[in-house]
Formats: sequence, C-alpha cells, structure tokens
Amino acid sequence: MTATIQASDRTLNGHAVSVAGAIKRYGMCAALDNVNLEIRAGRFLVLLGPSGSGKTTLARCIAGVERLHGGSICIAGAVVDDGRRQLPPERRDLAMLFQDYALWPHLTAVGNVEYALRRRHLARVEGHRRALQALEQVGLESLADRYPHQLSGGEQQRVALARAVVARPGLLLFDEPLSNLDADLRERLRVQIATLVRDSGATVVYITHDQAEAFALADDIAVLHRGKVVQFATPEDVYARPATLFVARFTGAAGELPGSVVAIDGAHVIVQVQGLRLRARNSGDLAVGSSARVLVRPAGTRIVAADRLDESTLRGTIVDVAYRGRGYDHVFRCDAGILTGIFAPSRWPRGSNVGVGIDPDSCVAYATVPDTAIDGVERRTPLGITTAETGVVDVVGTGLLAHETG
Amino acid sequence: MVVETAAAAPNTARFHGRADRMWMTLSGFRAAPIALFWVVIVALLALPVLLFLIVAFSPRLFDQGPEWFTLSAFQQAFSGSLAVGIVNSLFVGVASAVVAAVVGFAVAWLVVRTDVPFRRLWSGAMFALLLAPSYLVALGWERLLEPQGVLDTSGIHPDAVRTLFYGPFGVVFVLAIKGLPFAYLAISSALRGLGEEFEDAVRVHGGGRIAATRVVIALLAPAIWSALAIVFAESVSDFGVAATLANDAHFPVATYTLFNSVEAFPIQFPVAAAVGWVLMGLAGIALLAQGWALRSRSYRVLSGRSRPARRIHLSPGARRGAFGGLTLLLMLGLGVPVFAAVAASLIDNLGTLLGSHGLTLSNYADVLTNGDVRYALLPPLLYSAQAAAITATIAVVLGAVVARLLTRSGPHVSARLLDLLLLTAVALPGIVFAAGYIFTYNQPVLSHIGLRLYGTTALLILGYVATALPATSRVLVGTVSQVQDSLFEAGRVHGSSAMGAWLRTVLPVLARPLITAWLLCFGATLFELPVSELLLAPGHEPLSVAITHVLQGYWFSQGTAMEVISVLVALAVVSLAWGLFRLLAPHGWQRVGRVNA
Repeated sequence: MTATIQASDRTLNGHAVSVAGAIKRYGMCAALDNVNLEIRAGRFLVLLGPSGSGKTTLARCIAGVERLHGGSICIAGAVVDDGRRQLPPERRDLAMLFQDYALWPHLTAVGNVEYALRRRHLARVEGHRRALQALEQVGLESLADRYPHQLSGGEQQRVALARAVVARPGLLLFDEPLSNLDADLRERLRVQIATLVRDSGATVVYITHDQAEAFALADDIAVLHRGKVVQFATPEDVYARPATLFVARFTGAAGELPGSVVAIDGAHVIVQVQGLRLRARNSGDLAVGSSARVLVRPAGTRIVAADRLDESTLRGTIVDVAYRGRGYDHVFRCDAGILTGIFAPSRWPRGSNVGVGIDPDSCVAYATVPDTAIDGVERRTPLGITTAETGVVDVVGTGLLAHETG
Repeated sequence: MVVETAAAAPNTARFHGRADRMWMTLSGFRAAPIALFWVVIVALLALPVLLFLIVAFSPRLFDQGPEWFTLSAFQQAFSGSLAVGIVNSLFVGVASAVVAAVVGFAVAWLVVRTDVPFRRLWSGAMFALLLAPSYLVALGWERLLEPQGVLDTSGIHPDAVRTLFYGPFGVVFVLAIKGLPFAYLAISSALRGLGEEFEDAVRVHGGGRIAATRVVIALLAPAIWSALAIVFAESVSDFGVAATLANDAHFPVATYTLFNSVEAFPIQFPVAAAVGWVLMGLAGIALLAQGWALRSRSYRVLSGRSRPARRIHLSPGARRGAFGGLTLLLMLGLGVPVFAAVAASLIDNLGTLLGSHGLTLSNYADVLTNGDVRYALLPPLLYSAQAAAITATIAVVLGAVVARLLTRSGPHVSARLLDLLLLTAVALPGIVFAAGYIFTYNQPVLSHIGLRLYGTTALLILGYVATALPATSRVLVGTVSQVQDSLFEAGRVHGSSAMGAWLRTVLPVLARPLITAWLLCFGATLFELPVSELLLAPGHEPLSVAITHVLQGYWFSQGTAMEVISVLVALAVVSLAWGLFRLLAPHGWQRVGRVNA
C-alpha cells in the first residue's frame, strides 16, 4: 500500500523520503516485500513491528548500508537506490543512531561527535566548538574527553545522539536506540531525542517494537509485518482504527472476545458475546452470521460493582491486580476469556466478582481466522492446546493464560 | 484522522549534482573490486595449484608424460615409504597443533590477562621464535644432543633424552615450538579484544574462576580453532624439520619423501602433484574440523561498548611458577638453538680440522665487509628485506580483505571456497608450491602473450605472497570476526566514503593485529627457503639461499654469523615497527585492545 503524509509547518531542513515497491531478500527469505512509503519532509515516522518484520532492513536500505533487490528509494526527490544503482550512504545527507551505538572505541566522546562534522568541511576549531556544543545539548560536555568504554550505556547513547544531530542532516535514522536502556533512562532519552530532532527540523525514521514509544514520538506510524507495511497512519488512527487484527494486537489490547455477528449498523456491527450484544467498529469484512473476534482496547473498559451489573456488562472475576501509581490495573476473567489492563482508581481484591463495561468505540470486530494467518505464530498454552481450538482467549504478550492454566 | 498542516518546501538541493550521478553509475560496477580480488587470488593461488594438481592425472596435458589420464603417479606416491610418511605427517600435525594451541593459550593468557613479570619479554620471545627457521631450531638441538655433540664433549651423556629426541617426540617438540607463535598471536589478539563483561557475567551468575575461564575459551573459539588449523597445516607442510631432524631420526614425513621424489632431475611433477593431493586432503580435515566447531555461531564481541579487561594479580607463588614456566619455554625454544648458533659464529675455523678453534669476532667482520663474495651478507640481506617488506604489505592488504570475506555473517559459498583454497595453500609445502609456480608460469602459452615472469624478482615475490597469504589471513580472521559491522556503517552514514570509513573507523581498531600480521609475514619471508631456492632471480640471491650455500660450503662460522646478524636485523625491524606505532599512532589507536594496568 502507498500512503501519503501531510508535512508539518515546522519543516526547515528535512528531506522527503519515498520508498516504492522495495524488495530485499536474504537468500530465500523476503525481508522487504513490495514496501511503499511516502514520508513528507520534516515528519517523524516510526516504523513499528515485531522482530523480523523488516523494519531494520528498511531503515538500512534508506541509509544505504543495505541495497535493494527491487523497487526504489528517493531522498529529497532524487533516486538514491533503484535496485541496480545506489548512491553511497555518505552522499545521502543523513545520519543514523545504531542499536549498539557504534561509537568508535579509538575516539573520545568529542572525537566521535566531531567525526560527523567532517562532511561540513569546517575549520578544526569550529568543528570542535560545534561538537562540544552538541555534547552540551545532551548534558555531556564534562565527559567530552572520555573514551566510549569509560562511559555508561546511557552516556554512550547520548554521545551517539549528539553525533547524529551535530551535522544537522536532512534525514535521521534511529534503529531501536532505547532498547538497551533501563525504563527511567529510556523515558528521559526519549524526551531528549524528541526535543533535539524536532529542533533540527530533520525528517526522522525511527524504529521500535515498543508501541508506547511509537505513540509517544511519532507524527506517523508505519506498522510492518512480514516485510510489508500493513498500516500507515497517525498514531491516533492506528490506535482507534487498527487496519488488521495483527495491528490491533500489536498496538495494545486488553483482550479478544469470540462471538458471532448478529447485526450490522452502518460502520458498526453487533456481536453476540457470552449472552451480551457488544457494539464494535466493523473492520470491514464481516457479515451477519459470521464468527468474529472483538478486540477490546484497555482504555475502553471499566469495572462495575457486583450490585450494579446490567445486561451490558460482562460478568466475571478479578484474577490479578497491579499497582500503577495513579491507580490499579486489573486482570478480569469471564467465560468468554481474559481482559487485562482494566484500570480503576481503587483496588479490587483478587477473587472479587465484578462486571466489566466496554465502550463500543474501543472495540473493533474482525472475522475469525487462524492465529497463524494473523501473526504467523500459533499460540499454544502450556498444556499444548491452541487458543483457537479451545476458544479460550489469550492476551497478547501477557502470559496470563499460562498463569491461569499452569 | 489526517494531520492537516501547511507543507513547506523540502530540501532537495543537495542531490542533483554531477558527482551524485557519477556515484550512482559507479555503484553499478560494485562487483568490480571483488572480481579483481578473485582474479588476483586465482592467479596467485588457484591457477598454479590447480594446474599443478591436474598434472597428477593427466601428464600429457602439459607434456609431462605420454598418458592423457593415468593414476600411475598416485601408485608411485603410495608405494614404499611415502605411505608411512603420510601417516607420520598426520600424527605430527595433530600432536603439534594440540600442544601449540594449549601452550599458546596459556602464554597468551599469562601475558594479556595477568601481571606475570616481564610481559613484553615473553611477547617479544614469541616473535623471535617466529623468526627462527625451523631447521635452525632443529639443528641447534641436534648439535646439543648428537653423539660427540656439545653435551657429549662436555662429559654429559644424555642417551635417554637423545633416544627420545631422535624420533616422533623430537619432531613434534620442534614443530610445536615453531607453531607456538602462530597460536599465541592468534589467541592473544582475540583475547585483547575480549572485554571483561563476559567473565563478569559468569561470576555474577554464580560461576567461579574456572567457569569464567571456560566461557572465555568458548568465546575465543574462532581464534583457538584458527590456531589449531594453522599449526596443523604449518607442521604438515614444514620442510626444515623434515629435512634435518626427521631425516636424521629415520622418521619419514610426507614433505621429505616428496622432496626425495622430485629431487631427481628432471623433476617428476606428476608424482609431486599426487603427494600434493594427499596433503590437500589432510588440510581438508583441518578445515572440516574448524567449520564443524564454529557452525551457526556468532562471535562478534568487539565493539565500542566493550570494556578492557583488568589484569589478574597472581599470588607470589603463582608469579614465580608462571615466570619459571615461561623461562623454561623460552630456553627450550630459543635458548638452545641461539646458544648453538652464537657459539658457532664465535669459534674460529669451525668445521675444519685446520687452524686454531679460539673465540673470535672476525667471522662477523668477514660477512659484513663484503671482502669475500662467497659469504657477503649485505647484498642478499638488503634484497630479501625489500622483497619481504613488499610481500608483507601485499599479503596484509589481501589478508585483511580475505579475513573480511571469511567473517561475513550468513552463508557464502564464495567464502567457503576461499577458505578451502587458503587452507589448501597453507598445507601445500613451500617446495611443492614453488614447483607449481615454475610449472605454471613457465608454460609456453604465457611467453606467447608476452608474460615472461619466470626467473624474475616479480615471480619470486608472487610466490612469497602466495605462500604468506594463507597464514596472514588466518592470523587476521580471529580479530576481524570480532569487529562489529556497525563501526564501519556508522562511518559511512556520517559522511565517509567506503575507503575513508575503513581507514578512520576500522583500521584504528585493527591496527595492532595488522602490524602483528605484517611483522609475522616479514619475518617468515625474510628467512623463507623452499620458494627462494626454486624461484630465485639470477644474480639476486635471497638471504636464506645465501646462508644455506655458505653452510653447505663448510663455512660454518660465517654461515652462523650471517644467521645471527639477520635475526638481529629482523628483531630490530620488529622493535622499530612497534616503536613507530607508539610514537606516531594517535592516542586512541593505542588504547584499543589495551588492558587496564
């Protein structure tokens, strides 16, 4: 699919990037399978996807350290890779922040940053001054003369960040830059990255498998799956209108409830779930009588006390609770399955019999297909029974089913 | 929801230059450098080896016999003592490889990771061992232990040791001593690049010192297997010990029985080629063992995030033990042969029954003044030093490319082919290789196209490069495999060309191993014997040939004086190279791979 992004008015130096029909193979495996993207200048694009989805390969092809086998990539309107001929990376006016930082061990922090200014052909003194200035921006001016191994992981990452932005390239590529850091440092560096790159006005392509990080940073998100772009939209659209069940699962779900479609009402469907008639957005391929899975976003759920239950609430039990500072996330189990991340300001004890109300705008209904057709992974419980066989709903990435059945 | 904002003019000015179009066009020829590399490799290694091997089956093809296809060369090769020689070579290769790898690991560990006294001495001793030709080591021990030798004439009669030494034990001992520097250099380079975080990880997860050592050994697997493979191949293809100690001990090995078969004039190329096939088979075993051990694993552990390891402080007892062990090793490998050579060079009229046998320095004056052309040292020394410097430079450049190709991640048929070719070349004895060069580059067809290399210095250097390249690339593979690709890629995306990025980001990390490889290659080439003997250019006698001729002329004192001076010159070159590195290399280059004190 091809998608077009509207450019933001803060664009000053950014390059537009266009990827058309990109194909990249490793042996028999297609890492990129006809990928199309249009990134307008100055936008912050996040490539979101699981391991092996092709996001790193795509970024490396844009950078020019990998070559396409087919299709083309244009930067700033000029073809830089057409599958046969490639413009070398150093002539693409870009910089990249690597997952392992790739700091050169023989250069000091300031030496690493100065290196990136070589292309600007500055006088030595001026280059050194700007490198120190960039280190100051990331709060490391006092460690400028240290070698990489004398810095902590977070400090190394900040040196790499200063190196990436110092020459003010038109395109910045980030390959999972926060994946090796602890949670607190991740958040602080995320803010630093957002501030620095938006000040620079560069176009940004940022890779992550963390949907929270993606939503926090992106102007636009391209979700990749098996080498294809399966959705390209703003973070709000990706969350509210996930194009496929895979996207919906990958971007955060409280759970999935199996049922059957009993009516269609415009853009919505009515799905019969555990004696309830749930209203949900129609993903587009459902008809009356077909079986469906209703994906529920955590934000659209609320806990209802046992004495206030009505016909619009799911009935079940609280099986787990986690304190989150601002309140409590609960895990709720009912006959139709398990829902996680159900927030409440006060704690509901484990074992409480409660109901859960669901906001129709937080539900999307999809036609039932085998899990292997959705994300290529057949999910198995610890007992070796697939969720599709039993009808028991597992929750993406929670492992809660394992907790319950084990 | 669609973001509705005003569009700004994107920055497009930077990508429409003529230079960019030129780079795009050039990228269409990106396979050209690799193609050129393969042409060089084929001309250097594959063609001489292949044509030479073919002649074993088809003598008629190259006017070496009447048959188009025959196995008679193999029948000749497998008859008589040759079969015994092959079995002996296999045993000697395995035994010396294991001994050298174990001892080399221990020495590397002590020098790189502990505070054992005089660390630079032991490191320098490895280079000295490397520079000592195997025949010199063997002859030194023989001179010590032989009947009426130094010990006998001193009133000590080492009958038991003599019996042990003149046999498989002695051959394995000398070859392991000769293989030790290869094992040490391969393992110590990798050990330097290995950060201490892996050991820390074991210790904090409940493992003791032994468990941590086991992890380090596992991470050093590429270097250890490289050491095993190279020492095995070097031992199997060695000619110096084969021609001296093994022959005197009546313990035939393949290279010497092969030498016997080609010694006669005219050279029996088909029989030599048949033996070449057998030796190539032995090399195949080493390659298979190395490949089997390393398959499907990644050993990329060297990056900007690695922390240099701290030295282990040995207890006083352990320090004394380690010092004693290293001293004994040095005495066994170098002390005895050096003592023999220096003593011989200082004795007047050695090897004759005439005149006095007093101590004198006149032998050194004789060889340095060029008064008698029969034992003038300077012309061959300068000639060989220049040839060795050129050879080492070419071999290190090609070796770095080879190491990079061999360590690329993912399956590459070309890499396997290259690996096989190089290991085959390592295992082919120098004398057979040289014969292959004569055979190939003396073909009439080359004269017809105006390529007359036979009898030139150019062919001698090509032969040197071909014999040096496999070992040089093996030494580099261990470290190159540890350098993460992202260092180079970061250089490219931050504005450097491919060459610029390599020079500024990878070269500093590899500088020490590259200098090590250069010096190793320089030293080996300076004293190289078999290729020099067969490919020498008329009027230009290489050093090893000159020394051999002087010794064959019974000028033992002058010959050993030439040896001593040449070894000192080689050591001076080593010292000079490292001195210049310390003096001229940027501070950061010297920090990479250095251990915290």
